Amino acid sequence: MKLSAHYSKASIIITISVLLVGAVVYFFAINYIADNQLNSDLTEEIGEVIEYVNFHGQLPKPVDFDEDQTSFVKTNQTYVPTRFFDTVYKNPKEKNPEAGRAIAGLISLKGQHYITTITVSRESTEDLLQIIGAITLALSIALLVILLITNRYILSGLWRPFYDTVNALKAFNISDSKRLHLKHNKVDEFNELNRVVETMASRVKSDYQHLKHFTENASHEMLTPLAVITAKLDTLIQDETLKPEQFEQINDIYSAASKLSRLNQSLLLLVKIENNLVDDAELLSLDGLISQKIRQFNELLLTKDINVIEHLEEKEITASKYLVDILLNNLFSNAIRHNTDHGQVIITLTANKFIFQNTGSENPLNDKRLFERFQKGQKSEGTGLGLTIVKNICNLYHWDIAYSHENAFHTFLITF
Amino acid sequence: MKLLIIEDEQALRDNITHYFNDDGNICESCSSLLGAINKLSNYDYDCVLLDIGLPDGDGFAILEYLKAQMKNEAVLIISARNSLDDKLKGLNIGADDYLTKPFHLAELKARVVAIYRRKAFNSNNKLVFNEIAIDLLGRSVDVNQIPVTLTRKEYDMLLYFIANKGKVISKNALAEHLWGDEMDMHDNFDFIYTHIKNLRKKLLEATANDYLRSIYGIGYKFSPQ
Repeated sequence: MKLSAHYSKASIIITISVLLVGAVVYFFAINYIADNQLNSDLTEEIGEVIEYVNFHGQLPKPVDFDEDQTSFVKTNQTYVPTRFFDTVYKNPKEKNPEAGRAIAGLISLKGQHYITTITVSRESTEDLLQIIGAITLALSIALLVILLITNRYILSGLWRPFYDTVNALKAFNISDSKRLHLKHNKVDEFNELNRVVETMASRVKSDYQHLKHFTENASHEMLTPLAVITAKLDTLIQDETLKPEQFEQINDIYSAASKLSRLNQSLLLLVKIENNLVDDAELLSLDGLISQKIRQFNELLLTKDINVIEHLEEKEITASKYLVDILLNNLFSNAIRHNTDHGQVIITLTANKFIFQNTGSENPLNDKRLFERFQKGQKSEGTGLGLTIVKNICNLYHWDIAYSHENAFHTFLITF
Repeated sequence: MKLLIIEDEQALRDNITHYFNDDGNICESCSSLLGAINKLSNYDYDCVLLDIGLPDGDGFAILEYLKAQMKNEAVLIISARNSLDDKLKGLNIGADDYLTKPFHLAELKARVVAIYRRKAFNSNNKLVFNEIAIDLLGRSVDVNQIPVTLTRKEYDMLLYFIANKGKVISKNALAEHLWGDEMDMHDNFDFIYTHIKNLRKKLLEATANDYLRSIYGIGYKFSPQ
C-alpha cells in the first residue's frame, strides 16, 4: 500500500470518528439549549397564567393562550413542586401527535388548588435539529471528499521529488562516470535526502574507481615479474644438461606463468570494458567476421573433427572490432575446448539474433552463475573469465545474452 | 646485429642480453632514459629494444629523440601496458613493433630479426639458411632450388625457428606465436605437434637436412648441426 493510501486511511478514520463524536456532542448540546429555551418560555407562560388568575379571579380559557395547551386539574394537595417534563403534544389542527414539552405547577384560586399543566410543541426545535443535522452531515461528506481528493492529488504532488529520487537511484550505475544529479525541490526533507544520497553515491563511485584503479595497477605491476619468470625459463631450457624430470617441472612453471599472464590480460580487459575505455566502435559486418573466425579456428576444429554448420544472414553492427573479435574468440574457444570429438557447432545469424550452439557435456551449465567471474567447469583449463568478458561486451553494446541447454546443445543466444 | 636494450628491470635485461649475445650479436644495455640518450648520441645501433616505463621518464621520449636526430635505428617497444593507445602512439612516433610483457625470448628474437631484416635488407628479400632459401616477399620456400609448398602456419613456424636457430623453443612460446594472444588456446598443444610433424616431413621430402629436434617434451630446437 502506498504511503498516500496509508495516510488517507488514517486521516479518514480519524476524521470520521471526530465527526461522529462531534455529532453526538452537538446533538446533546442543541437539545440541552432547546430544552432550556422551552423551559424558560414555559416559566413565562405559567407566570402569565398566575397573573391572569390573580387579576381576573377566574381560570383562563384554553384558547386564550395561542396554541399552548393549558389544563387545570383540581387537587387536594397543598403543595406540588413545579416541574418540567417531556410529553406528547396534540395539535388540534393536525391529527398526529407531536413531541411536546410541558410544565406542571400548582395554582390556587379562591381556596381551591389546581394543578396547571401547559404543553408546547417541540416541533420547531426538532426541525431546527434536523436542519442542523443535515447541514452537518453534508459538511462532513464534503470534508471527506475534499480530504480524499487532497490526499490523492496534493500528496502525490508533494511526493513527486521522492519518486524522482527513487527513479534516479534505480537508474544509478556504479561504473557510469556521470555524477548522480538530483533535482532541487521545495521540500526541505527531500532536499536533505537528496543531499545524503548524492554524497553516498559519489563516495561509492570513488571507492569503486579506487578499486578498479587498484585492479589495473596491480595487473600492470604483475606484468614485469611475469616477464622475468618467462625470460628466465626461456633461458633455463637452453641448458640441455638438465634432466627430463627437471624439464617436466619447467613445463609446469611455463603453464602456470602462461595462465597467470592470461588471467592478468583478461582482468585488464574487463577493467577496460567496464571503464568504457574501448571506444573505437565502427560499422562491422558480423557475418564476415564470423566466417573469418571459422577459417581461423579451422585447424583447431579439425583436430577434434568438429563439424561446423553455419546459417549466416547479412548483419551489420556498430561495435569495436577488437571487442567483437574477443567475443567470437571466447565463444569459439569454449565451443572447441568443451566439445566432444566429432562434435558439432551450429552458428546462426539473423537480423536480430546470433545463436551459437555446440555439443559437449550432457549436463546443462548453471545458467545463473555461468557469466560470473571465475565460474568454470571442473576440467576447464581456461581462466574462468571468458564468458564474463563475453557478457560484459554484450552489456556494453546493450545486447542481451542468454544461455540454454536443449537437445544436447549448449546454446548461447545474443539478441541485438 | 648491434642492439641497445633499454630496460630498467635488471633480471630481464640480463636475460635478453644473454639470449641475443649467443647468436653473435653485440648487445649493450642501459636502465634509464638518460643513459639511453647518452648511448644513442654516441653510437649507432641496428636495433633498439625500448621499455616504455622507465624510472626517469617515458620511453616515448627516446622515439622523439631518434626522430629529431634522424637516426635510423629499428625500434621495438616492450611495454607492461597492454594499451591500444600506447601501441598506436609508439607506432606513430616511429617504432617498428610493439610487444607486451610478458613475452617469450624466442618471440622477441623473431620480432627483432624481422624488423631488422626489413630495415637492413630492403632490396634483398631472400633469407637463406644452408640449403633452405626463403623468399620473404613471395612467402615461398625452396630447398635445393626445389619449391616446397608450406601452409601459412608452417611457413610462420619455419621463419620463427630460423630466427631462433640453435635455441630451444618451448611449446608455450610456439603456441603463443602461432595463435596470438587472444585465442585462449594455449593449453592445447596437440596441433603444434601436428604442424611440426608436417613441416619436418615436407622439409625432409625436399631433401633438406633434419634440423628439427624435440627436446624432452618441453619444446623444439632448430639447429644447423
